[in-house]
Amino acid sequence: MQRKVEFGSTMKKIVVTWIFPLAALVIFYDSLSDWEPREHWGVLFAYTLLTIFSTFAPIRTLNTILTLNNAVIFSGILLFGAWVGVWSAVVETLILAFLIRANPIKALANIGQLVLTIWFVDLFKNSIGNVPASTMITDLLLAVSYWFINIILCGLGISYFFKTNWFTTVQKMAKGTTLTYLLLMVMVGIGSRLFETYGLYTLVPMMAAFITMSFVFHQYYDSMNKLQQKVEEVKTFNHKFLTAMAASIDARDRYTSGHSQRVAHWGREIAKDIGLSATKVEEIYVGGLLHDIGKIGIEDEILNKKGKLTPEEYDKIKQHTVIGYEIILQAGMFNELLPAIRSHHERIDGRGYPDGLAGDEIPLMARILAISDAFDAMVADRPYRKGLPVEEALQEIRRGSGTQFDPILAEHFIRIVQRLPYEELQSIIGIESIPQKQLQEAIR
Amino acid sequence: MLLDVIGLSFVIALLRGGRIKEFPKFHKLSLLFISIALQALSALYPPAGGIFVSISYVFILAFLLFNRQSEDIRIFMMGWFLNSLAIWTNNGRMPIDLEQAKKLPYDLTPVINGTNFKHSILTESTNLPFLTDVIYMPSIIPRVISIGDIFIMLGAFLLVQRLMNKPISLLQLREGKNYATKS
Repeated sequence: MQRKVEFGSTMKKIVVTWIFPLAALVIFYDSLSDWEPREHWGVLFAYTLLTIFSTFAPIRTLNTILTLNNAVIFSGILLFGAWVGVWSAVVETLILAFLIRANPIKALANIGQLVLTIWFVDLFKNSIGNVPASTMITDLLLAVSYWFINIILCGLGISYFFKTNWFTTVQKMAKGTTLTYLLLMVMVGIGSRLFETYGLYTLVPMMAAFITMSFVFHQYYDSMNKLQQKVEEVKTFNHKFLTAMAASIDARDRYTSGHSQRVAHWGREIAKDIGLSATKVEEIYVGGLLHDIGKIGIEDEILNKKGKLTPEEYDKIKQHTVIGYEIILQAGMFNELLPAIRSHHERIDGRGYPDGLAGDEIPLMARILAISDAFDAMVADRPYRKGLPVEEALQEIRRGSGTQFDPILAEHFIRIVQRLPYEELQSIIGIESIPQKQLQEAIR
Repeated sequence: MLLDVIGLSFVIALLRGGRIKEFPKFHKLSLLFISIALQALSALYPPAGGIFVSISYVFILAFLLFNRQSEDIRIFMMGWFLNSLAIWTNNGRMPIDLEQAKKLPYDLTPVINGTNFKHSILTESTNLPFLTDVIYMPSIIPRVISIGDIFIMLGAFLLVQRLMNKPISLLQLREGKNYATKS
């Protein structure tokens, strides 16, 4: 498996950093002879102007900015042939190379994938030239093939430079804003044919269509952006609120400052480590923040009592899981957190409280938080005692694995802690209030 | 040389509400003087004219390179580079398409005789003909331009806008931001 992955990435490297630029060079050299005849100069001139215009007249979409260059290139291929497309691509690359100091390897790979797309589309165009179908139909096919070949090659480059999976990258691109490209390409296909028949006047309605489209997109994506911002704001507020709530829970108990935050942190680490989805990870973090909310309902004298608790007092403390459950249930929010709050003191062997659940009966979230909770309780300093050394606490967890804790989760947890550098571990254990960095992490 | 383009740029900048505030500073102006001197030499000593002109283009490119922090200069540099390619590959003279040049109200005999130190006639053996002076531009001043000249004109236009304190950033245009840079 490992070898296969390595082989794949070497292949990508060869294609993106060698074959793309080499192909660019060969295709460029091949086009050079097509640029030389006298009757082609006017076309090159016109496409230079079009390329300059399209390079600096973008269409804004949600997260990216699309330029019309691909549409210009495509019209060149349709009306004249690959040499015009390659010319437009070369001019664009030159402009960007002079204007922006780009990474030369990336720039070469990019021009390579672009002219390769042009070359493939031209090849396809020539091969379907004899098919007895309307040019309108073949143009549509070409538009789709341009778009498809482009995202496949582009996706290869992206997957190499950003170390992602090629297939999923292409899939994402196909579903994303590249669809706008397809729309432009289809429009340009129609426009090019109109241009052939009606000449320059075609540009008037075409320009009107493009400008209107760009305006509509602008409005649409602007409101989308605003909405996204609002959602982010609400999320931020939510997290600030929850963190403040966790802090106030901890403040009730003077022994446990910052406890909920740390439990939430460890819970999130475990959830990430076992490969849960981002939303689940997020849920567990919030569950950690709120797991002790029931302590609000425990009398101060018991919670802050110095010395040993009587069995009755201990029973009352145990009630905090059920009280918390009731609070959240009545609030009607965070229903997904109910199991975490009720069952985070359950044990795998069924000797925990409040319900005496065993094994897999205990919800996953609760099993995760049980380990985080126990670990933090052991290592955190308390006013009346120093916290246990981390190694000893891990030893305790190892000992409880299979009786108190889920053995697989415990194993994950021990690995997570052992992986951490000493300073980082100490800084997490020492979290008192609400550090900004943590908060920001939580928001993501 | 580009008087009409520059004049038009000034008018546009004025209409945009621009005023000259301060003249932009250029680095290594000496390179510019060297290249002018080389051009003069080429006129004085025609046998080696092509070499002098070719070298003078290198100096201008170097001058632009030292001043490349503003976008207008970089666009200018690209145009100059494309023209340089045509000059370097054609013995130090810019080939001009006779068919287009005949539309101009100038006497073309020095070009045809080969005594013009700046231009030569475009023939079958001309290298990179698509980068030479082949496009007839009817107004404002009629002339035959090359594709590189498009970029030189664009660069001149942008430079004048910056000079008049109303700079336009192409890169910001590309990013879909407000076209004018805040200075």
